[in-house]
Amino acid sequence: MIQLFNVSKHFGQNVALAGIDLKIRKGEFVFITGPSGAGKTTLLRLIFGSQSPSDGAILISGINLNRIRRAKLDLMRRRIGFVFQDFKLLEERSVFQNVALALEVIGERPSIIRKKTRQVLRAVGLGGKETLFPRELSGGEQQRIAIARAIINEPIILLADEPTGSLDPDITQEIMLLFRTINLRGTTVVFATHSRELLRDTDQRTVLLKKGHVEQETPPPPEGRP
Amino acid sequence: MIPRLWTYFLKRALSNILEQRFIQFISMGTITISFLLLGAFVLLVVNLNTWLMDWGQSLSMSVYLEDGISGKRKEEISEALKGIPGAELRGFISKEKAMEDLKEAFGAQAALLDGFKENPLPASFELLLLEKEFRNLAPDAVKDEIESLQGVEEVQYSEQWIERFEGFLYMIQAGGLIIGGLLCLAVLFITTNTIKLTIYARRDELEIYKLVGATDRFVKTPFLIEGAIQGFVGGATALAFLYGLYKLVSVKPLYASGFPVLKVVFLAPEIALSLIFLSLILGLIGGLIAVGRFFH
Repeated sequence: MIQLFNVSKHFGQNVALAGIDLKIRKGEFVFITGPSGAGKTTLLRLIFGSQSPSDGAILISGINLNRIRRAKLDLMRRRIGFVFQDFKLLEERSVFQNVALALEVIGERPSIIRKKTRQVLRAVGLGGKETLFPRELSGGEQQRIAIARAIINEPIILLADEPTGSLDPDITQEIMLLFRTINLRGTTVVFATHSRELLRDTDQRTVLLKKGHVEQETPPPPEGRP
Repeated sequence: MIPRLWTYFLKRALSNILEQRFIQFISMGTITISFLLLGAFVLLVVNLNTWLMDWGQSLSMSVYLEDGISGKRKEEISEALKGIPGAELRGFISKEKAMEDLKEAFGAQAALLDGFKENPLPASFELLLLEKEFRNLAPDAVKDEIESLQGVEEVQYSEQWIERFEGFLYMIQAGGLIIGGLLCLAVLFITTNTIKLTIYARRDELEIYKLVGATDRFVKTPFLIEGAIQGFVGGATALAFLYGLYKLVSVKPLYASGFPVLKVVFLAPEIALSLIFLSLILGLIGGLIAVGRFFH
């Protein structure tokens, strides 16, 4: 599903990632962890294709992102959801409009947009809050809007960059449960976090990054079990 | 592209314009002024051209007679003029009629002419040589031939004046091209910068669009439409103003000494539409430059 071969990324003299080799199977749930500046966000952006590697190759479902045309990459992104710590919501748009945006950009029919948006908002626990604006909701609810927007196109991969970083522990647990539910439905989840709390009790695969290198990696769960 | 996306793009473009009302108003206002100047120049050239063509259709000659010639002599001169090939005798203007015409042309200042004890204006025959004829003739030779007739004081004809006017018109056209070019560049500059401001104000939103898989075309198209709308509104408003000004000016007929009443015409529909189309295209190009620079 996701394959990184000797991937490096430099920003001028700064090395964000150096010689990363990583394979993530379809349907896996992988934590990418490490301290701030370890390269977690850069790794997710490279997988998303919003940045290009300085060296090496990244393959998504066998497609080399270095060789794909820009227009194709845009289309491919529709199958990759991305959730951020700061939610990245449009403040002047309602909950419904924020989520529907992901369908509008692909030219979906209005009737389908209405139906799917309501469905996905119910699925993330925001049923009945369609007309509210992000500022009227709690941090956890705002993150649910972002998750709903990321999954509405039924992505094959869901990338999450510190999505619980600004949430209190109870809300964090709710959001984690939501990610696990999405993963159980078959979506590959790559979850970047520096929270030890989150990783303490998990048996999911964890990749520890340090100064742009893979410092430690727990083995993936056996085939057939995410 | 899916047709319903165009509705979406149009809505986005209009929403961009409404949300940045003040900047858009300034931008469209400046485009309007630029196109008003350009349109006024085109209107001037069109009218000068029309007048020149009207006058250039024929060569008119005024054959001025000596004072106090006999009726018989006047008749002989008239017959001689009719005998010139391609010439058409348009009429005789007596001394009294010449004074009347001059007073009419002077309008409110006609009283100035009352100071003359005697009418100083000569009687004249008005002769017209049709274009196809006089182009083959040497007007100077005709002039000399008529002036040699007894009782004829002087012959004046319009071609020399038309030649000078043509030179003046070429200068106006050349000046119009240079000024028009500069105004078009100004419109491009204004549109590009206004759209850059809109894009800058919406950069977070655009980032989110890209995150959810929007293509470049999806993100850029509303800004191109915005540019085209700016150009169109600016151009159309300028023409509306110009038409209003034309209506004000064209109420009074214009006189030019020695020539018939000047009729002011407005731009032909195809020229007016071309100007609006030009403004629309300039707005679109401005949009293209802005998105090109920003997304580069």
